[in-house]
Amino acid sequence: MTRSQQSRAYWLVPCALVGALLTTLPRDARGADDPREWLEKMNKALATRNYDGTFFHLSGGRVETMRIVHRVRAGRVTERLQSLDGSGREFVRANGELTCYLPDQHTVLVEQRQDKGPFLGSLPQFDASVSDFYRIEALPATHILGRPARVIAVNPKDQFRFGYRLWLDEKTAMPLKTQLCDSRGQVIEQIFFARLDMPENIPDSDLAPTVRTEGMRWVRQGPSPDSTSAALAAYRASQLPPGFRLTIQGAQTLGGASAPASHLVYSDGVATVSVFVEEQPATAPGAAAAAGAAAAAGAASAAGAAAAPGAVAAPDAQPEPPLRGLARVGSGYAFSTVVQGHQVTAVGEVPAQTVEFIAHSVKIYSGGEPPRQ
Amino acid sequence: MSEQIREQVSAFLDGELPNTETELLLKRLTRDGELRESFGRYALIGEALRGAGSHILTRGFAAGVNLAIDGEPAQVPGHTHQPRASRWWRPLAGVTVAAGVATVAIVALQQRAISPGLRVASAPTAQNAGIAPSGVAAQNASVQGGGGSREALSYTVPVSSADVPAALSPARLTNYVFAHSKYSLGLGQRGVLADLLIEDDEPQPAPVQGVAQPPLTPDVRVAP
Repeated sequence: MTRSQQSRAYWLVPCALVGALLTTLPRDARGADDPREWLEKMNKALATRNYDGTFFHLSGGRVETMRIVHRVRAGRVTERLQSLDGSGREFVRANGELTCYLPDQHTVLVEQRQDKGPFLGSLPQFDASVSDFYRIEALPATHILGRPARVIAVNPKDQFRFGYRLWLDEKTAMPLKTQLCDSRGQVIEQIFFARLDMPENIPDSDLAPTVRTEGMRWVRQGPSPDSTSAALAAYRASQLPPGFRLTIQGAQTLGGASAPASHLVYSDGVATVSVFVEEQPATAPGAAAAAGAAAAAGAASAAGAAAAPGAVAAPDAQPEPPLRGLARVGSGYAFSTVVQGHQVTAVGEVPAQTVEFIAHSVKIYSGGEPPRQ
Repeated sequence: MSEQIREQVSAFLDGELPNTETELLLKRLTRDGELRESFGRYALIGEALRGAGSHILTRGFAAGVNLAIDGEPAQVPGHTHQPRASRWWRPLAGVTVAAGVATVAIVALQQRAISPGLRVASAPTAQNAGIAPSGVAAQNASVQGGGGSREALSYTVPVSSADVPAALSPARLTNYVFAHSKYSLGLGQRGVLADLLIEDDEPQPAPVQGVAQPPLTPDVRVAP
């Protein structure tokens, strides 16, 4: 896994990745009203402009008020995302690090998240096949927040992915409102700005966290290895929903874990699903019992698997029972199962059946290279 | 929620709330959890009544909101807030039909909260061959300024469904979500991170045992 692969646009900026769909058409073939042209404008606006806004995030019948401050100065991006109600949590990205201030947990997490070069340079290049799975169209123009706005829909063509509707400011192409929708057009998640300023300059003070960190625990996540052992490369989803392909493969040390998990990323160019594969430690009898009869086979298999050489287990950590089942996480889903003594968990902003499908199809290839995808 | 607040929320969602009142509403929303809950519910219902799938949009949506882009204030010529009797939330006060719409909207989301162990048989079956890999290098997060249990080192909990069973530990799920957010693309990543910011101690919907989902009838592309 290369650094460029790791580098991903962030928060609002990667919203513009949808716009990368337009790369499948030559520019001169598109008119000024072409929806892809508008997505490209949005791409550029998000990557190059300063903005400071308050928005509502609606999901699952809940609404949260958040503030985002995004500054681009000399090609370097600094961002702050803050919950204005409830948790008081804040995320700040600066100098290649993401710092998560979690006052309700009395914890500050720091993780390296490099973004080298301009954001536009790190946009993934999608091939023409993306348009096989999404239909991009312009909807009737309207007004939003007192501004004339273009409305662009990115509609999924099947039930394996979600779509988007975007209300773009006519003047700046900034997304004033976005909706995540399922294949039937039902809104799953909605974000819309109540206030959006685009100042020439943003002072450092607006990007500084407001959380007081005295007495808080600081946790610095070590860098994940870019290259992994051959063993880690031996996991693959043997079957995928149409359009999904393996884009990133590596390892990710999860919070509280004693060993890195194999991390596979599958994408159709718009939607992304992460698959985590972890060797299960020997399971305590009690834990195995708690996991239930359905987990018995997997637990037994896990118990038979030797602990990874070199793995450092937390001395006081009890083996956790295997995860099994489906849960909604945010606007997406997570699905866990056990495959050959390995915990397999798929997570993504996709329909439930997509994470289930991919997780169930994971195979462990012990002898030689897995099939190329 | 008072009638006045209802009017404000409705006017805001319809784009008809003046700037000054919008600021007040924002402040109320940041302080009042119950209001936020109602706001979210109304917004959902509003989408349902407007017909989100048919893209029928209210002209001037949130026109009174304080928006200043490139120093240009929002144009709300001669706007005065006059609540309309036909607002979408009004029937919800006591009309059965509208309440039914609300129920549908909310249930549709609650059905997304799913218990474990469903439909295992419908998915592809993993093969049993192979040996667990080995040689994984351990790498622990370093902790500064305190010890802390393994659980404490986990990230926070964005799980929207409190029905997550014991076997699906919220903390572990959150770790997956956080790790996934690094690679999540586009709007999805923003959603993931926004979810991670959300407080997680509010009451959640009950588990749903049998969830109707589209059948797993994929036009599966088998990896070569």
